[in-house]
Amino acid sequence: MKSFAPLACILALASVTPAFAHAFLKHATPGVGSVVAAPPASLLLAYTENLEVPFCTVTVTGPAGAQVQTARPRPVPGEPAEIAVPVHITAPGTYKVSWHALSVDTHKTQGTFSFTVSQ
Amino acid sequence: MDSLAWMLLRGAFRGASVAGAFCGFGTMFLAATLLRRHDLRGLRAIAWVSLSLALGAGLGWFLLQTADFASAQSLSDVIGAIPIVAQDTRFGNLLLARSAALILATMLFQAKLVRPAMLIAAGAVIAESWLGHGGAMADVTGHILLAVSIAHLFAGAAWLGALPALRLAIKTLPEPDARRLGQDFSPLGIACVVTLLATATIQYILLIGRPAALFTTAYGLTASAKILLLIGLITLAARNRQVLVPGLPAARSALLRSIDVEIMVGLAVLIAAGVILQFEPPGMVMVQ
Repeated sequence: MKSFAPLACILALASVTPAFAHAFLKHATPGVGSVVAAPPASLLLAYTENLEVPFCTVTVTGPAGAQVQTARPRPVPGEPAEIAVPVHITAPGTYKVSWHALSVDTHKTQGTFSFTVSQ
Repeated sequence: MDSLAWMLLRGAFRGASVAGAFCGFGTMFLAATLLRRHDLRGLRAIAWVSLSLALGAGLGWFLLQTADFASAQSLSDVIGAIPIVAQDTRFGNLLLARSAALILATMLFQAKLVRPAMLIAAGAVIAESWLGHGGAMADVTGHILLAVSIAHLFAGAAWLGALPALRLAIKTLPEPDARRLGQDFSPLGIACVVTLLATATIQYILLIGRPAALFTTAYGLTASAKILLLIGLITLAARNRQVLVPGLPAARSALLRSIDVEIMVGLAVLIAAGVILQFEPPGMVMVQ
């Protein structure tokens, strides 16, 4: 059986799915590029690595150019790779989300996406 | 704070801080194992110097990293961010806990409580793993990288960290004891080298992924430099084992010089390791 150990290790490594260095956006609610009927009360951003929430920032800019986030990102209990951002959206249109994340491995990342509120 | 110069400086402080922790643990490890029958007073001095290096370089790393976290434009930005980093980030919590653990370990070592000191210092060494990619990811890859990093750090600390204590012992012990120590250290060194090579291979597969990246990315170039330095270390260790230890006592001076070079090269390896962690691994996929 010992002779199979190296082979098993190689197969285990080969079966590992592509990983993500640093914290990159895995998914968001509302979703990236999505169209939602009702305005959300908050955004949920989920990342590929655990976050240092005090140093993560998110700005949400509405169609008129005004920022609609009402507070800094908050940790999501039990989900160290997610942050929630309360927003106050009153008008339909496309909203641009610009985020800066700090992973617990001390690396910074940033990105943007948008979503649309239809009503 | 995102420029290459700042990244290199942060990496250098990080590497030097790890070197201090390595040396503290390695000294205690050697005292608890191969030197357990000898009471070399100089070992405690090495442990205190190691602690000073770990704390001093750790402070530099903490301040530079805090400045980076806060995107600081001024000293007051850094000062304002210090409490947040210290209290509310894994980096701050871990660095402070590691510093406290190393202080406690060194005090226990001073009090000749060698084994408890060694165990606490071992914890301080492997704590670094939770600041790496493996410690940040919750998936299978993260678990593998975390385990590999722990083994890598432990092997590196047991080998490279023990070199200053080994040098002191080779220099001060009488000839039969010095020769026996040199012979007994050899299998330990081989076990550590095998572990380092195996774990480095897994890290290469997961973090670099393709040979070309070794020469075309900052991460790969630093990894290449680290590999070359490691080859140099292994060559020196092999020469010590095959030529210089059997040649004791006549070869004592040459062996001491060789260990001096090993210590310097080992420090360079750790600085390179600190720098490499500032770059993005090319083998990992960016989804933005």
